[in-house]
Amino acid sequence: MATVIIAGLVFGLMALVIYHKIKAHKNGGSACGCGCSGCTSAKNCHSKSL
Amino acid sequence: MTIKIGLAGNPNSGKTTLFNALTGATQYVGNWPGVTVEKKSGKYKKNKEVEIVDLPGVYSLSPYTLEEVVTRNFVIGEHPDAIINIVDATNIERNLYLTTQILELGVPTVIALNMMDLVRKNGDQLDCKKLSNLLGCPVMEISALKEEGIDAVTEKAVELAKQKKSQNFVVPVMEEVQSALSQIEKIVESNKINHSLPKKWLAIKLFERDEEVIKSLGLSSLVKREVESCIAQCEKLLDDDAESIITAERYAFIGNIVANAVKKAKKGQDTTSDRIDKIVTNRILALPIFALVMWFVYYISVSSLGAIVTDWTNDVLFGEIIQGNVQSFMESSNVAPWLTALVVDGLIGGVGAVLGFVPQIMLLFLLLAILEDCGYMARVAFIMDRVFRRFGLSGKSFIPMLIGSGCGVPGIMASRTLENDKDRKMTIMLTTFIPCGAKLPIIALFAGALFGGASWVAPSVYFMCIAMVIICGIILKNTSAFAGEPAPFVMELPTYHIPSLKGVLIHMWDRGKAFIIKAGTIIFVACGLIWFLQSFNWSLEMVDADTSILASIGNVIAPIFAPLGFGDWGAAVATVTGLIAKENVVATYGVIYGIADATEESQDLLAMIAANFTTVSAYSFMAFNMLCAPCFAAIGAIRREMGSVKWTLITVGFQTITAYLVALIINKVGSAVLLGGSMVEAAIAIAIVICVITGVLLIGKSKLKSSQSIGLEG
Repeated sequence: MATVIIAGLVFGLMALVIYHKIKAHKNGGSACGCGCSGCTSAKNCHSKSL
Repeated sequence: MTIKIGLAGNPNSGKTTLFNALTGATQYVGNWPGVTVEKKSGKYKKNKEVEIVDLPGVYSLSPYTLEEVVTRNFVIGEHPDAIINIVDATNIERNLYLTTQILELGVPTVIALNMMDLVRKNGDQLDCKKLSNLLGCPVMEISALKEEGIDAVTEKAVELAKQKKSQNFVVPVMEEVQSALSQIEKIVESNKINHSLPKKWLAIKLFERDEEVIKSLGLSSLVKREVESCIAQCEKLLDDDAESIITAERYAFIGNIVANAVKKAKKGQDTTSDRIDKIVTNRILALPIFALVMWFVYYISVSSLGAIVTDWTNDVLFGEIIQGNVQSFMESSNVAPWLTALVVDGLIGGVGAVLGFVPQIMLLFLLLAILEDCGYMARVAFIMDRVFRRFGLSGKSFIPMLIGSGCGVPGIMASRTLENDKDRKMTIMLTTFIPCGAKLPIIALFAGALFGGASWVAPSVYFMCIAMVIICGIILKNTSAFAGEPAPFVMELPTYHIPSLKGVLIHMWDRGKAFIIKAGTIIFVACGLIWFLQSFNWSLEMVDADTSILASIGNVIAPIFAPLGFGDWGAAVATVTGLIAKENVVATYGVIYGIADATEESQDLLAMIAANFTTVSAYSFMAFNMLCAPCFAAIGAIRREMGSVKWTLITVGFQTITAYLVALIINKVGSAVLLGGSMVEAAIAIAIVICVITGVLLIGKSKLKSSQSIGLEG
């Protein structure tokens, strides 16, 4: 049972990260995997402001 | 109803500082051109109905640079309700040039005199009332850095916006010029040319032969001829070109204002910044001072203070607390061994190895932020220009590289400030040679593990990268694709000032946060994948790392790296995973060795690293990873900025081949000199590098000659 729960958590987190990154990329979000605040080129990097 | 207020002013006048103070944003404040090349908006903290727009710094509203076009299009096209013109009071004469152009546009404007504390410190006096009378608009004192007077100036701008009273400002000009302008106004009126621009401003722009304005009006040939005739007549009378005539008139007006409203205490005397610059930008002392500063930065962040905190983070936090407790918990909960291994060795091992460097990263970014905010980094661009220019390069190309020392992606995009296409391409190709924050863990890992944390390692890597920028720049400049005169470089050196603690900490946190976010996302997923590949074979059975999928892939590509001194599968795989994110190089070692504290000088780790590296091959490994193709995000940025797959591939290929040759020389020559290695192999390595460079130069020069001869014949 513990295996199932922890496995679910770990793989769920991974899937969430992948999903979030793909979604952000499709929506014209950050292209480098980092946050945008404080980046000198945030506006140049992606078309939509976040 | 939203009131839109634009912040316009010269570069380094304090616009973004004011923007951050008014909106609570944490936009990057940099001391070099190209930082703000797009406008940024935010809501005024004290009145959400007021939108503040931070515009790029410009010296005028002529349409020559991207920044000027953005600012001008905003003022003309987006019809802001008011403008706050931030004027650097310590350089009022230069700043007022833009002010006159903004006032001519008729948008309600309030002038914010920034840095008045420095003016008073210099003993100068500025009469705001006189300035206001002469310019016909409110003039108020502020200190954007200390957030003094900023609300009053914003409220004044809001008040002007609500009154909707447009200014009727005109720079007084000579009779001949006035006559020409009046004639142009009549031509526009009589031809019923459709526009929404202020009449007098339009007349001046047509007089200046402003290409953008002429294009936007769609003037007929007849109208153009009539306007041109007025201009030509005036030029003949005054024996000067139209643009220079207007410029002279503006400066004559500004000179009159300054004579009436400004009293300089110490005429011609050097300011504190001037005195510091006499040493810091001295022809002989500048480079040694820069070397010393960067040695100090890396000594503090990588070798001494940073290393102490990192050791605790790895030993105690990840090693004992997190890894130990998680393993105990999972074992006691009867979690499957493979899952325990995945979480403890894979995820905590890999991500922990990267996060262990957070203290060093934060310290590095803190020190770089201090150098940027105080104004020193702007001097570095100036110093490097002097060096670069000797080899046909420009210091303007060094600014993206300075920005790239945090992250290569904004550094690559900052190359947009270079107008010359060849220089821009070359800068993009060379920017990622400068170590970014993500590469620091690689340096810190090997400096700590192989060189006993010696303070010379990190700075030497940094300067090796700068040397490669210069060498590769020289080589590229001698090819047809990049030959040409270096771009002119004019940059305002900001006044030195003590950086604000808040600003510096915000910069440090923003960059450090990005590092942590990446570790928790991309590195997290990558570590899971790497753990799986190094724990299972092709039949999906759990095996030792040496017989795993990862090892079999690594063993295929490892021979490529053998001449560089690191031909084992672990190093090969670590290098390749660095394409995902450079931090992954360290994370991969953390997973392979199953140790979270990858920087710990433990016997096990040293034994593992020593089995695969010598000091020479370790330095070769660092050099390769510093110079080779950057991470996928940076490659994506290269693709966007180059605008072509061909040039992207050329760039990546160039960087990787350069990295390979440099690592080859380091390994072969270093081994021969320091470790008693083969002198024959060292000689062969040198010969290969000379052949490659000669080949590139010969091909490049022959193409250059043929393109020049075609040009002559054509």
